[in-house]
Amino acid sequence: MPLVGIVELVLHVKQTTSDVVPASDWTAARDALTTEARPDDLVIFAPFWVDPIGREQLGDELAGLRREARPDESRFARAFEVGIRGAHREELAGWKKTAERQIGKITIGTYENPAPAKLRTDLLELVGTDRVTVSRVDGASETACPFQHGIGQPGGLGVPQGPAVPGDRYVCSSGAYVGAAVLHALDHHPHLCLFVSPSGAGTLRIRFAKIVFGSALHGHSGVQWVNERTPSAERITVAFSAFDRPIGQNVHRVGAGWTGFEFPTPELAGQKGDLVAEVGAATPRSYCFEADTRDVP
Amino acid sequence: MSERPNDEDDERERITEPPAAPREDDAQKLDQPERERNTDPPSVPRDDDAQKQDQAASQSTRKTKKKAAAAEPPPKEPEPPAKEPDLGTRARAWATSNTDPLIGGGIAAVYVAWLLATARSLGFSRDEGFYFTAAYDYKRWFALLADAPIKALERTSIDPIWQNNHEHPALMKSLFALSHTLLHDRFKVFEDDSTAFRFPGMLMMGLALFVTYLFAARAFSRRAGVIAAITLGLMPNVFYHAHLACFDVPIMAMWTTCIYVYWRSEKEGGLSWALLAGIVYGLTLETKHNAWMLPAVFLPHALVVHGRAISRHAAKSSRIPIPTSLVAMAVLGPALFVLLWPWLWNDTLPRIQEYVNFHVHHDYYNIEFLGQTYFGPPSPRSYMPVMIAATVPTISLVLFAIGAFDRARALLARLAWWLGEAWGRMLAWPKAAPEKDRAQTDLLIFLAIAVALGPFVLPRTPIFGGTKHWITAYPFLAILAGRGFDLVWARLALLLEKRTTLDATKRIAAQVVVVACCFGGALATTVHSHPFGLSAYVPLFGGTAGGADLGLNRQFWGFTTESLAPWLAANAKPGETLYFMDTAWPSWQRLIAEKRIPETLRGVSSPAEAELSIVHHEQHINEVDYNIWTEYRSSTPAYVLTHDGVPIITVYRRARGHR
Repeated sequence: MPLVGIVELVLHVKQTTSDVVPASDWTAARDALTTEARPDDLVIFAPFWVDPIGREQLGDELAGLRREARPDESRFARAFEVGIRGAHREELAGWKKTAERQIGKITIGTYENPAPAKLRTDLLELVGTDRVTVSRVDGASETACPFQHGIGQPGGLGVPQGPAVPGDRYVCSSGAYVGAAVLHALDHHPHLCLFVSPSGAGTLRIRFAKIVFGSALHGHSGVQWVNERTPSAERITVAFSAFDRPIGQNVHRVGAGWTGFEFPTPELAGQKGDLVAEVGAATPRSYCFEADTRDVP
Repeated sequence: MSERPNDEDDERERITEPPAAPREDDAQKLDQPERERNTDPPSVPRDDDAQKQDQAASQSTRKTKKKAAAAEPPPKEPEPPAKEPDLGTRARAWATSNTDPLIGGGIAAVYVAWLLATARSLGFSRDEGFYFTAAYDYKRWFALLADAPIKALERTSIDPIWQNNHEHPALMKSLFALSHTLLHDRFKVFEDDSTAFRFPGMLMMGLALFVTYLFAARAFSRRAGVIAAITLGLMPNVFYHAHLACFDVPIMAMWTTCIYVYWRSEKEGGLSWALLAGIVYGLTLETKHNAWMLPAVFLPHALVVHGRAISRHAAKSSRIPIPTSLVAMAVLGPALFVLLWPWLWNDTLPRIQEYVNFHVHHDYYNIEFLGQTYFGPPSPRSYMPVMIAATVPTISLVLFAIGAFDRARALLARLAWWLGEAWGRMLAWPKAAPEKDRAQTDLLIFLAIAVALGPFVLPRTPIFGGTKHWITAYPFLAILAGRGFDLVWARLALLLEKRTTLDATKRIAAQVVVVACCFGGALATTVHSHPFGLSAYVPLFGGTAGGADLGLNRQFWGFTTESLAPWLAANAKPGETLYFMDTAWPSWQRLIAEKRIPETLRGVSSPAEAELSIVHHEQHINEVDYNIWTEYRSSTPAYVLTHDGVPIITVYRRARGHR
């Protein structure tokens, strides 16, 4: 019986000393990746719970908002998985490991995406520029929703608090808004996307100008976790069109989580023009979507 | 009117008990049970029931001696006065006649000192902040009661004050208030207001240890008592909760005390113990609503103990005799509940109804379990057993399993024997009549555990409180662990006897070494867990990092904010604003008032107003994390507070110009 206690003690000592990753290992990992990682590489931490430490130690250059709150991994040709405790991220399950090295207690694996997509335009990068206009459509009337630099509403004390209302946003006269913010998805992961707030009876029209089209329009939609966690019959629709022709529409079912969609656009590949996204009336949830044009392999 | 059932079997048992010499319990040292055990057949541990018989015989003999003394005629001539024993002799005599209270009290005192020594480094949870505020309010009422009692009893004085936090009864918050008045304001024992508020909760932990020791020592052995107290004290979650000005450890203490007093009333009989049971039950009701579940412990137990006598009596007199202790609890309990809670002095029934409704229809809060956040029914049935396995040191659970198996076997043996007698046909097992236990101690212990844990296998029971909501089971788990250690030590002692020639002193030393080996891990885990007690998981589950791997809750109610103090002191500029997230306003104010964090910081309630924002890591609080990213346009922390390499709090700093 005393052996049980002794084993407990030995395990405790190990877990609280030699198993803990020292800051020096993180520094060494950062130094290694700083020289090796390219801007279009993905840096990902495993397990997910170590993500805050990874972001702190590797900094904005290697683990900034765009990488952390990515819509998915398909746009990255290469990924560095910075892992501890033998953990791996399932997002890289289909990727080919090309290298692995040990830096103290940290394992850095290099992975290649077997089928990376080539992005033509990421719609989120246009938000706030003169290439995006937002309007509220009620029947035949269309009212502009100007872009404003305001004060954000990122929530208060206590939870749940819903998604942050970004300070920089397109504001409609009805109080509806469109703005880029980070979604807390059903799987508790972050995704930067375009929130479209309830617009009453009208439709919110978002026009992205001078888009270079590829062979597909690829995107995702979701609803903030606090709403998505209770599945309902509610549906939220975003319809895409270009050159006055529909490309496709995605219907998001509340409870489905962060889900992807892809509409083939081979006939538009290489063309440049406006892309229009219309989010259907009465979206009482914290709906968010993102999309890009790309060439799919 | 109540009366103690005239249990003829009981009387017969008393009469037929062997007239053993009084057990010199009080004169025994800690090692005495070993000496006694060595007189038993070496391969068979001394049966606890024999000890119980000894105790009963001891009491019986004492009573006989008293009666005999009373019957003796006074001496005709006064004898010359005996020489007055000196102080040392009297002190030794007192100590030897109060050994168990001294041991139990000693353990409790050491533990409370440990809590006091570590209190300053533990921040304030949300609830504590609310109870601090309530206690400040109640203080005003107690002051008014002292100065102008008539006015204090008026509704206009009571309701505005006692409506604060009226979802919980008054006892602990009143004690927080009185402790603050006496130990902070008047005698200045504690410099921190919070420590004065927390002190009654710490004393309650001392009471829990004291009673756990006494219960195990009287039910099994003094060694079992010590081990039970050690087991209870060396649970990281319990150690954390024992610091707080909250109700969880107090209800654990009162639950255990109430059952203990009831048990003593069953064993000793008499009005005094019964009345005490009623009073203690009233105080337990006044501590927390768990107390309303105690009848589910007492009624089945009383039915088993007195069932035969009750049915016999009822058949004869068409009256149902009820044990006096139950009557006392039924009468005094609710009466004290109302009497000690001024909020209930007006609109009594509607307010009781409101109190009941609050707890019956309590909100569900978010809690992570195995990677999933639960926020409503159905609650996972595996939550309670997995969390117990993950947070109670493994050695304690193994010893509990041994002790529980032993006592369950004894209980089943009694049941099988009773069934055999009832049917007039003996069963294949047990072969011999098991030892009787008139008080059905084993049954009481199992009921105490089952009733405390039972609700948590129901799908509608909220699980947001983690382990604290079934903390009332732990003293009884510890008591059975004490019994388990008794059995283990009996085997080890036998081995030692066969293979070594240790003298008595070395045998004691061997026992200490075994205890140290058994509980070294639990001690290290508990010490190391501070001040992140809710993040701590046992080594078998991988420790804190293992808990994170498994997706187990890392903390709740924002108590870890204080642990940022060194970083804030070094990195926060005077006058900077900090969004303190899950920490309640009153808790934040107390942190500032007691200079636990830099007092130059200004707390704000939104990242929009803050230069610095923090996130207490829980899965559902990722929402706050991501909202800060949106607000600050960055996902890069300024600092991550960790425990064993696991993030506890992340701090973000707003970049210049980003507003």
